[in-house]
Amino acid sequence: MISIENLSKTFGDIRAVDNASFTIRRGEIVGFLGPNGAGKTTTLRMVTGLLQPTAGNILINDIPLQDDPLAAARIIGYLPEQNPLYNDMLVYDYLKYVATLREVRKGDFINRLDFVVQKCGLFEVLAQPIGTLSKGYRQRTGLAQAIIHDPEVLLLDEPTSGLDPNQIIDVRQLIREMGNAKTVVLSSHILQEVQALCDRIIIINRGKIIADAIKDDLPALLESRMRVTIEIEGGEMELEPFLIDYPDAVLAEIEPQDQSVLYTFTITEEAEFKRRFAQYAMQKQRLIVGMKTHSLSLEDVFHRLTSPILDEDNLMPDSNVVQHSDAAEPQDKETRDE
Amino acid sequence: MNSALTIARKEFVAALRSLSTYIIFTIFLVISGILFSMTVFKIGKAELRFLFELIHYTYLFYIPAITMGSLAREKSGGTLELLMTLPLRTGQIVAGKFIAALLLLVTVILCTLVFFGIILWYGFGIDYGAIMSGYLGILMAGGAYIAIGIFASSIQQDQVLAFILAFVISAFFCLSTVILPLLPVAVASVFQFISFGYHLDSFYKGVLDSRDILWFLSITAGFLLMAEFNLKLRNRAQER
Repeated sequence: MISIENLSKTFGDIRAVDNASFTIRRGEIVGFLGPNGAGKTTTLRMVTGLLQPTAGNILINDIPLQDDPLAAARIIGYLPEQNPLYNDMLVYDYLKYVATLREVRKGDFINRLDFVVQKCGLFEVLAQPIGTLSKGYRQRTGLAQAIIHDPEVLLLDEPTSGLDPNQIIDVRQLIREMGNAKTVVLSSHILQEVQALCDRIIIINRGKIIADAIKDDLPALLESRMRVTIEIEGGEMELEPFLIDYPDAVLAEIEPQDQSVLYTFTITEEAEFKRRFAQYAMQKQRLIVGMKTHSLSLEDVFHRLTSPILDEDNLMPDSNVVQHSDAAEPQDKETRDE
Repeated sequence: MNSALTIARKEFVAALRSLSTYIIFTIFLVISGILFSMTVFKIGKAELRFLFELIHYTYLFYIPAITMGSLAREKSGGTLELLMTLPLRTGQIVAGKFIAALLLLVTVILCTLVFFGIILWYGFGIDYGAIMSGYLGILMAGGAYIAIGIFASSIQQDQVLAFILAFVISAFFCLSTVILPLLPVAVASVFQFISFGYHLDSFYKGVLDSRDILWFLSITAGFLLMAEFNLKLRNRAQER
């Protein structure tokens, strides 16, 4: 378990991490999401003991990090962002070196090696110098190094950067498996990755934690309204009576097509709106040929939370901001999980 | 301590696998070989004092060359970040680097035993005690130069700059005897005490003086501690 209390780190005038607090429980996969330079790496570095915080506390399994950094280092596995490796070493020698320094006992080493080689798919390159490896294999070697001592806490800084799509799937699979029994924190600026992997998402921007929520709750945190697009056969229809009668619906967009017109509304109650609108169309003797509901994708949430025009007051559900923001076009829910 | 030995072993093996080590070895041995063969017949004595002096001067280039990468490479390659997150004390990292460099030095000094063999074969009336203490002396001085080299390497990310810095600091300790005649008497005695040559002198004579031994040990410990301090300071790492 990792607990962070009011953690801050300044570099000169720059506040890299600003009063961050959160707790990560065992068995959670937490995504640390933020644009480049948001303070993700700095936070992870402080948790590993690589950087001393300017203020605040880090508790690892209820023990303050500064009291026993070596004990904390024993249970943490860390994959740094740059994934530094010794290019002149063989993969096997490197893993053995790290395992020895990680105090893996000689008898256990073979089992652990077996495990990581199989999990990370390193068998073919075990006897190769690290300098000759491709980016993908280097990343896997870095990952193998991070899990060779069976750590309770796994900190991965941008674990899939530079990998090809197949490798990304493999690495994600591995992280998911590790997440069953361990605490995994991974940082990323890639939304799809966090979306695909994590149970919980912490969004950090300019050093501040601006959202911390279970994955599926996050869009709701920002926006309770959704958008509905309705396709009506024929030319434009008069909508004013409907809008006056049902003020919850706000017309956002009219888009004429060849044979029909697309109307987009923002609403809160989907079922009620659909029923009312269907009745209204029937009254007007118009045919509804299509109806589609969009919910906000994580991407929109991320964009809104981290875009510089918004200040903190606007982070709470606020229909005005969302409604008039053209910056983030909502995506279809169906295409989200690709 | 075990972890320091693991690091030392890895460093030593890596050095033995790298071509540059052999180039530095060869240059060191060729230079000392040439100087040995040029002087041994002129002096015509069965002693190694001049050989030790000459090894001492070659240290100026040899030791910065083997230590320049020790920490600078870890820093520029980012692997220091990894080492600092392992359950290691900063001191163990520095100690590991020191032991590895000392082992390399011992290896190359073992190669100079050839010269000792030549003296042994052809010379008469050899003072074995002086030769033994002379070897001990240059090893201790070597240790001190290695500590200086590691300290320089802890300051710099660039290996060339680390080499130059180590060279300059080493030259101060090695060559301060040279400028002695130019200095006023009061200052001269201080510089004389600082210079390694002065302390090595008694080793060459076969005298083991605790003052000399302590001098080399304290220089070694002092620079290693400064290197450790530097790593902690530069990385702003959690105290460990």
